[in-house]
Amino acid sequence: MAFKFEPDVMVETFPLLLSGVKLTIIITLCGLLIGFAIGVICGLMKLSKNLLISKLAGSYVEIIRGTPLIVQVMFLYFGIPMASGLRIPPLTAGVIAIALNSGAYIAEIVRGAVQSIDYGQREAGRSIGLTKIQTMRYIIWPQSFRRMIPPLGNQFIISLKDTSLLVVIGVAELTRVGQEIIAVNFRAFEVWLTVGLVYLMMTLTISRVLKTVENRIERRGAR
Amino acid sequence: MINIKNLHKNFGDLEVLKGIDLSIKAGQVVCIIGPSGSGKSTVLRCINRLEELTSGQIVVDGHDLYAPETDINYVRTEAGMVFQQFNLFPHMTVLQNVTLGPIKVRGMSKTEANKLGEELLKKVGLAEKAKNYPDQLSGGQKQRVAIARSLALKPKVILFDEPTSALDPELVGEVLEVMKTLAREGMTMVVVTHEMEFARDVADRVIFIDKGVIQVDGPPAEVFDSSKNPRLNDFLGKVAHQH
Repeated sequence: MAFKFEPDVMVETFPLLLSGVKLTIIITLCGLLIGFAIGVICGLMKLSKNLLISKLAGSYVEIIRGTPLIVQVMFLYFGIPMASGLRIPPLTAGVIAIALNSGAYIAEIVRGAVQSIDYGQREAGRSIGLTKIQTMRYIIWPQSFRRMIPPLGNQFIISLKDTSLLVVIGVAELTRVGQEIIAVNFRAFEVWLTVGLVYLMMTLTISRVLKTVENRIERRGAR
Repeated sequence: MINIKNLHKNFGDLEVLKGIDLSIKAGQVVCIIGPSGSGKSTVLRCINRLEELTSGQIVVDGHDLYAPETDINYVRTEAGMVFQQFNLFPHMTVLQNVTLGPIKVRGMSKTEANKLGEELLKKVGLAEKAKNYPDQLSGGQKQRVAIARSLALKPKVILFDEPTSALDPELVGEVLEVMKTLAREGMTMVVVTHEMEFARDVADRVIFIDKGVIQVDGPPAEVFDSSKNPRLNDFLGKVAHQH
């Protein structure tokens, strides 16, 4: 039985994938939004002079970075309910997993960007009488945030692709929808090709938007 | 105005300051000279508590810097600082650099602060640069903005940490000119500098620091022309040689 490529299947598959696209986008956005909040808090905690605070954030980063996302997802969805008796809906578990995971990486992005700002900036802020918090808010943070944008965009793309791992807990995101279509039509080649192209369309869009944002910042002159 | 008693400062095992006693009166212009690594910048940075002292006492305008009840943020507004590397805020316009302190620290309204900022920029000859960003300025212009920024808080004393050392030679003059104006207006100034001409012309007092102690302290004429201190004469000889 020779393989015959059927482009029609791709055309038929595409609209069926849209519900999965929608969910993928929702999970990515919600996960990253929470992940950003976690990342900012933990990144700043890692910079704290208080050893307990910095070690606490450091351990979180190490644990998340050092274990596979798929294990984290299954632990959250299958492991935790077994111990606590609390069932987490798959979509919620997915968002939490992406948030915790991206949060650890964003913490490192935040820490690195803040640390990259010249120490003289802090001294200049303090010398005009700003408090530590004001110096962070008006001087260090705005400059660090600009430096965070490229790595944050990178994280955005990584997290978007990571949502495909939620297939293991049955969240109806893009990859899962593709799998279900194949279960009916057995056209693995055409369906996975379409799914891949849809992911690529999304990530290329993010890259494009990011480049525009970076250019705009560059054009505004100041570093 | 500033009273330093038996100031010691260690960086790890290295003792940088070995007991500095220094008293500076309001309106005085004091230049601190000395070889690099002598501790002269460290003295200055201790006066603003950018560096923590190891032992001793520093009183600025009646506030003991290390007393627990002292609000260090307040004291810092009374002692402005001008850095060798300018340290302007690159994400803000020149005017915003100058008005940030008055607005956030002094609680001034934006209109009032802008008026003050424009006045100060005019004073340092940069009124037309108010809307520019620091990276559009020359080094000399940056340093003049930095001086305006520290003036904006109406400090009682300004500390200059080698304000012209990072500048191209042809830009040094414009910065020294602004500093001379301030000196004439009676501003209390402590200047760590390698500009011997400036020290000679403007300072009321010149202090020579070497190996962590004050070696010579006196009026410029005395320090530059009739000191018997061999270290000072050695240092002055080397500096003169460079020029």
